[in-house]
Amino acid sequence: MNFNDYKIKNDPQTAAYKALEKAKAVQGKLNAVVSYVDPQARLDELKEIEPNGKMHGIPIVLKDNVNTKGILTTAGSRILGNYIAQYDATIVEKLNAAGAVLIAKSSLDEFGMGGTNLSAATGPVYNPYDLSRMSGGSSGGSAVLVASGVVPFAIGSDTGDSVRKPASFNGVVGFKPTYGRISRYGIIPYASSLDHVAFFTRNVADAATSLEVLAGRDDRDMTSLDLPVEPYRDRLNADLAGKKIGILTNVLDAIHDPEILSMFNGLIAKLKERGAEIVEIEMNQDLLSAILPTYYIIANAEATANHSNLDGLRFGVQKDGDDVDEVMTNSRTAGFGKLIRKRFVIGSYALFVENQDKLFRKAQKVRRLIVEDLKKALSEVDGLIAPAAANVAPKLNDTSLDQLSSTYLIAENFMVMGNFSGCPSITVPLGYKDGLPVGVNLTCNLYDEQTTLDLALAIEQATGLSDQIKEVA
Amino acid sequence: MKYETVIGIEIHCELKTATKMFSPAPVSFAKHPNSCVNEIDLAHPGTLPSLNKNAVRQAIKACAALNLRIDPLIRFDRKNYYYPDLSKGFQITQQFHPIGSEGFVMIPSSQGEKKVRINRLHMEEDTAKQFHYATETWIDYNRAGTPLVEIVSEPDMRNAEEAVAYVEKLRAILYYLGVSDVKMEEGSLRCDINISLRHEGSGEYGVKTEIKNLNSLNNIKIAIEAEVQRQSALLDSGEGIQQATRRYDDVAKTTVLMRKKEGSVDYKYFPEPNIPPVRLSQSWIQEIIDTLPELPEARYARYLSIGLSEYDAKILTQNKDLSDFYDEVLKFTKHSKIAANWCISEVLAVIDPLLLFTSRNKLTPENLATMINGIQDGIISSKQAKEVFPHMISGEPFAEVVERFGLKQVSDTDGLLVIIEETLDQQPQSVIDFHNGKDRALGFIVGQVMKKTKGQANPALTNKLVFEALQKRKP
Amino acid sequence: MKQYEPEYFKTLAKQLRFSLSDTEAKDIADEFGILLDQMRLLDKIDTEGVLEMVYPIEAETSFMREDEIGHTFTVEEAMANAPRKAKDHFVTVKVVG
Repeated sequence: MNFNDYKIKNDPQTAAYKALEKAKAVQGKLNAVVSYVDPQARLDELKEIEPNGKMHGIPIVLKDNVNTKGILTTAGSRILGNYIAQYDATIVEKLNAAGAVLIAKSSLDEFGMGGTNLSAATGPVYNPYDLSRMSGGSSGGSAVLVASGVVPFAIGSDTGDSVRKPASFNGVVGFKPTYGRISRYGIIPYASSLDHVAFFTRNVADAATSLEVLAGRDDRDMTSLDLPVEPYRDRLNADLAGKKIGILTNVLDAIHDPEILSMFNGLIAKLKERGAEIVEIEMNQDLLSAILPTYYIIANAEATANHSNLDGLRFGVQKDGDDVDEVMTNSRTAGFGKLIRKRFVIGSYALFVENQDKLFRKAQKVRRLIVEDLKKALSEVDGLIAPAAANVAPKLNDTSLDQLSSTYLIAENFMVMGNFSGCPSITVPLGYKDGLPVGVNLTCNLYDEQTTLDLALAIEQATGLSDQIKEVA
Repeated sequence: MKYETVIGIEIHCELKTATKMFSPAPVSFAKHPNSCVNEIDLAHPGTLPSLNKNAVRQAIKACAALNLRIDPLIRFDRKNYYYPDLSKGFQITQQFHPIGSEGFVMIPSSQGEKKVRINRLHMEEDTAKQFHYATETWIDYNRAGTPLVEIVSEPDMRNAEEAVAYVEKLRAILYYLGVSDVKMEEGSLRCDINISLRHEGSGEYGVKTEIKNLNSLNNIKIAIEAEVQRQSALLDSGEGIQQATRRYDDVAKTTVLMRKKEGSVDYKYFPEPNIPPVRLSQSWIQEIIDTLPELPEARYARYLSIGLSEYDAKILTQNKDLSDFYDEVLKFTKHSKIAANWCISEVLAVIDPLLLFTSRNKLTPENLATMINGIQDGIISSKQAKEVFPHMISGEPFAEVVERFGLKQVSDTDGLLVIIEETLDQQPQSVIDFHNGKDRALGFIVGQVMKKTKGQANPALTNKLVFEALQKRKP
Repeated sequence: MKQYEPEYFKTLAKQLRFSLSDTEAKDIADEFGILLDQMRLLDKIDTEGVLEMVYPIEAETSFMREDEIGHTFTVEEAMANAPRKAKDHFVTVKVVG
């Protein structure tokens, strides 16, 4: 069902409980839910108001790094295993105002730090298309709950492609708008200068509606954009005449799977037929190869500082100790997973006074160069396009990828440029390889959400792939 | 061995704003614990800071009054360390780009006026309050997030007197600006002293010691003197100084080792990603500078110019609340010196100046002025005024008190003459004595007249009339 | 203690108020090599004269919050998640230093 279907049916009560039932039914196979949310209070509220909200009665899921007052919010970590949020994130207030009905909080890589969803405190999340494969992450839970038809909308967060990559692995739409377009107030952070609130839907039109609901200036988030929220859905226009789309050749060159390349080329041909001018854009290869280390250094450093508040004193899980340093240490050791602790150690290393120049500040400088190169590329086109991943969702224990190969460095990580630059970026379904979804990524100029959605709609029409649901038997 | 003392001072000053530096929770005044906090102050996951405009305004006022250059682009950084009173595990501060830089104040010193340079003034947030017990520490986060300015001087002071003068000067200026309560004993003004010794004439700095926990000007003086002694002895003996932080012990009246500086702590400063650079408009900054209130130096000069003694001007200036009251009194009387006396000697003796502008004070400036004018106009004598004053403190208007107690001074010449003639009739010996050159006779008759008028006769007038009457009467 | 030995990372971790097991410290030490290789890719890039990029969007803001009391927790909300509390204070083991 898409948003319109829910609107037409206008039966929030049934919709919510069906979604809840289905979430429970698939939980054994997908393990995507951290907490179920009883929707009755919310449904009672809805009965009192006109069904005018843009998401009236639509059942939704929120990634469990979103503060929901009175509801357990864990960020995928044991250290917040007992944390009952005491305030609502701004987006929760907006979704409530639009009439949406929350039915579950979804699993994520611990604190959003990962691309596999294997590090969640509640265990791995599995891919509905093939349960022996990962969902991808960090917003894995949200991705699969949309892909498996439980809900038509789920919130994720995208710091280094954590919505746009799992969207590719699960055959859904994953949209990360411009930085600051959606308020981050109440979103448990990973890296503040890279974090974006993002979301999953099953088609582009619903993504447009979702953006209308979520976007807007929030004075509680000083980085939020003070720009008007446009009627994105009404203005959707898939006409490609006069549109110029750039193929990011560095990514294509790093992809070796012939099927994926063939799917992509097929799409390009269709876009040409529809009137788009297609050009090849080559960015600086050294800069693209540097995306991943640049990302790691900045993200881990910021994350380490961001989570220094988790000391076990005011909330969260606390362990004993003989003095307060021991209490903090024991709490954080027990509460933080192995992967997180590793990331914190590395992140902190880059911030030492003697290392900052060579590492943290160096990475921040390289970030600028990468962003400048991206903007230069974008200045010539309406959008840049490339396959969202070099392959389908990996198997659960797949460690085959050479971490220094260009495939890994470039093809698997180029979308991070969207986080470095803040540029709006969306993944939509491209096709299927052996029954497994493959996505295509589109990145556009800053603040240009409408163009992003327009071009994405054109792609959707060209592939004919929308509202794909993988039923989990 | 004679050493030169080198002193630098760091001051932390809590700003008087309604809400915290980065959150809209109220700045607390000794309220119920953890009743003035919200999710931002407790650093719940997912919270973000939002900058308090009024705190920035107060900081700009302070920069202007301290002659600091103001940076119109506000930038913040994170200072990362773990401590239970620091809820985020980092403090948002201005390490790289302080709002104010390169300023100065003038202080009185043994060589006349001396310039003490100020390196920087920056904004940051305060920490929570900890209460240490035998096996536990209790934490109240009400204070966490309160806006602070940190003011760092250059090491320009050379002795305890200069250090005290500097702190006094800063305290007075900050108080006059209205940006802080600057109560050292309450912690709204905190001083850390950095002190080192070196050979006279040496261009290099010695190893410095930081002294904390100084909650009065007197303690600053004692601590510095104790520390100079301690460091001199160590240098004399060849032992040398180890860089450390020491705490002032009020009982022992010396400094005590708190912690050694084992290499300096690396706070891993980096720019705060959740606050973009904030551009202040030049017109806003200028408006703040143009509307600065009168500062202590200007007030002192003003008092001298209206004829007050240096002593009175100093007393009043040192007590802003009292002199604010005095300025109000001056709106209703031009007898500035008398009014000053009354404020300093009488008003100060019976009312806490901090209460002068609250409902707890019933003595209005206008009422006091009326009384002062009354004395000068001869309605009552200054002796009578002392009787009247207590009633005015309870709020009774001057005219009413005078009326009620029939205290109106007798200045009616005819009436007085009647009493004088009557008195002279009764004291013929005094008339004889007066004409025999005995001056005491005059005083005696005046005294008798005062008795008959129950002290209400206008003394100057009475004196004159008695003298004339005595002269006229032939023995 | 040499750089990049497991002990080194254990010390780093301590500074961050958590501990690493021997295995975990060794894992990091081993992986650090790959990391250093990746970081060398950064070295290849000439950043002479390039300013650090702190924010993805480098626009100044002029917004500052008005100094009016806004959302404040009730004491109950403030203490709701406290692992240890007493008389509405957060309680921890005695703090040293």
